[in-house]
Amino acid sequence: MKDPATRLEISPDAPDEAARIRSSRIATIAIVGAAVVVLFLVGWLTTPEFVRWANLRNIIRAAAMIGMIALGMTFITLSGNFFSLSVSQTGAFSAIAFAYMLQWDWPLGLAIIAVLAGALIVGAAQGGLVALGGNPIVVTLGFGAALFGLGSTLTDNKTIRTGSTAADWMGTARPLGIPTQTWAFIFLAIIAAVVLTRTRFGRNVLFVGGNKFAAAASGIRPSRVAVQVFSISALAASIAGIFLSAQFSEGRLDSFTGDDINAIAAILVGGAALQGGEGSALRTALGAVFIAALENLMVLRKYSFGVRKLWVGVAILAAVSLFNYLRSRARTT
Amino acid sequence: MRALRRITPITWARAALFVGVFLIFSLAVDGFATKNNVYTIFEGFAWQGLAALAVGITIIAGEFDLSVGSAAAVAGILAMKFIPTLGLIPTILVVGLIGMGFGLIQGMLIYRLKIASLVFTLGSLIGLRGLAFMISGENTVVLHDLEVAKAVKRQLFIFSPFSLTTIAIFVVVALFFRYHRYGREVLAIGGGRNEAVAAGVPLARPLVIAFALSGMFAALTGALSSIKSGSAQPQGFEQLLLPAVTAALIGGVSLFGGKGTALGIAVGALTIRFLNSGLSLPGAPYYVVTLTTGSLLIIVVLLELVLDRPELRNRLRLRRLQRAMARELRSS
Repeated sequence: MKDPATRLEISPDAPDEAARIRSSRIATIAIVGAAVVVLFLVGWLTTPEFVRWANLRNIIRAAAMIGMIALGMTFITLSGNFFSLSVSQTGAFSAIAFAYMLQWDWPLGLAIIAVLAGALIVGAAQGGLVALGGNPIVVTLGFGAALFGLGSTLTDNKTIRTGSTAADWMGTARPLGIPTQTWAFIFLAIIAAVVLTRTRFGRNVLFVGGNKFAAAASGIRPSRVAVQVFSISALAASIAGIFLSAQFSEGRLDSFTGDDINAIAAILVGGAALQGGEGSALRTALGAVFIAALENLMVLRKYSFGVRKLWVGVAILAAVSLFNYLRSRARTT
Repeated sequence: MRALRRITPITWARAALFVGVFLIFSLAVDGFATKNNVYTIFEGFAWQGLAALAVGITIIAGEFDLSVGSAAAVAGILAMKFIPTLGLIPTILVVGLIGMGFGLIQGMLIYRLKIASLVFTLGSLIGLRGLAFMISGENTVVLHDLEVAKAVKRQLFIFSPFSLTTIAIFVVVALFFRYHRYGREVLAIGGGRNEAVAAGVPLARPLVIAFALSGMFAALTGALSSIKSGSAQPQGFEQLLLPAVTAALIGGVSLFGGKGTALGIAVGALTIRFLNSGLSLPGAPYYVVTLTTGSLLIIVVLLELVLDRPELRNRLRLRRLQRAMARELRSS
């Protein structure tokens, strides 16, 4: 009990309430975990090829791409800024920029740093507008369109080949049998979890998301947090873009089409509260695995595109309703 | 004079943009200010303006309807399926009513479940898109009777039955928001929800009205423009949100809700169409239009945030207060 925060508990009911909220959090992660397990069981029983190693590797690679984007966006959601509609364009733009830089024979490290720095600026600009009071959806809608338009204009709407083998290892290697993307995803998930739970910045994000005015009154600047979370999200999308560019040795503007929605789906299935303040990196990661596995299973079972979309929508609605209900019960009983 | 003084700098900026864009393109682009091109501009306005009205109304109510694009896609496919049996006008009415019914249910659920409309309509954005693919069998649905399409886009001076319908809808909505109590309630819950409820506005009514109108206009957008082009695609209208939101914001709909007029949205939508036409006439590809629209959206948001002085002043005051409190905490 060295944590100074515990001294602030004045109400005699407070420890009880904390325990209740903690138990509801454990329940949430158990539900998300159980959903993933049930999905794999169903897949195993109905579709034998679903659990083959080659297919599982596809799933974890897809989950890694959605997951990296979703992990970054989790910071936005937790800080109470809903989500971003520009991550797929940020990822695609990064993929193109990376491909160009390799084409120009830039060293790999320099290219990566340059792309990430660019993403950071774009993210910070969006965060800045949100910090001034802009609606995050509208701001990111505008930036997404501008990035897409700019990227198409620069590339003349063509695919950009990297023309270099420098990044091949990064894109296609499988250390210990697991794709590099998945390693990056696991690594980023751990970093995100540590940052959110163990650092002052992470607690500030959750605090601002939970109650912006209380956070502002206690000296946290919500505007600064907004700039930070949008930068993190752009950075994560850009990392996914670099990996994609490395994997296929090319950058294309449509390479992340639909991944905004998939990333949001991962966050919501992971049970993050969309009004902010609650959620975790680990749960988002599990959500990404769930969405990727669900998509994969439905493709294997030859579900049509429309039916697949419908089921992703159903999964989101079910998750949002269930977690909303659980949260309201944890608060009122 | 007093009325003139009440016009804020940002409104002047909007009017200047509207007139300026038209004048610049008239001078710079051959064939821009011709009767036929103005007809084309109004044809674009007919569907994008309607979509802007759909989204704009929900923003005015302090909410956000993300699902308009998917709703329009479903409505377009439904219209294609209904026309052979129902005929033109009943089809438009039926699809409009279906859209309204959907919006009604959506609004009621958002009110009942107390889920942020952003989240809820994100769900319907995905779900309706899936539905569009299912009912179309994943294929483009084609209208065989092209006479119907001609009836919708027949040129009457610079208008067509389609753009006249949209203009009529704008007039009705403008009157509704200006003079009818239910319309004013929508503005009230957008501006200060707690105050409005405290003053006796039943929150459910304006909320449901806003989403019902949004659903209906989205459906009409999809139905009319699909009939006009003679085909509907399940992946259609995917980029509808960008021009719609941009038009609404250029037209003076406040991001914070509670502010905005149908006339403003019409001006905003026409500004977007001027830009679109002025860029495409000399042959700029579609993504240049996307780039311009996106940049315009960012600029409008920035302008609103900077020029909206009371907001900024409050924010600065809050920051000063925070700094003072932080100093005090540190010294104690």
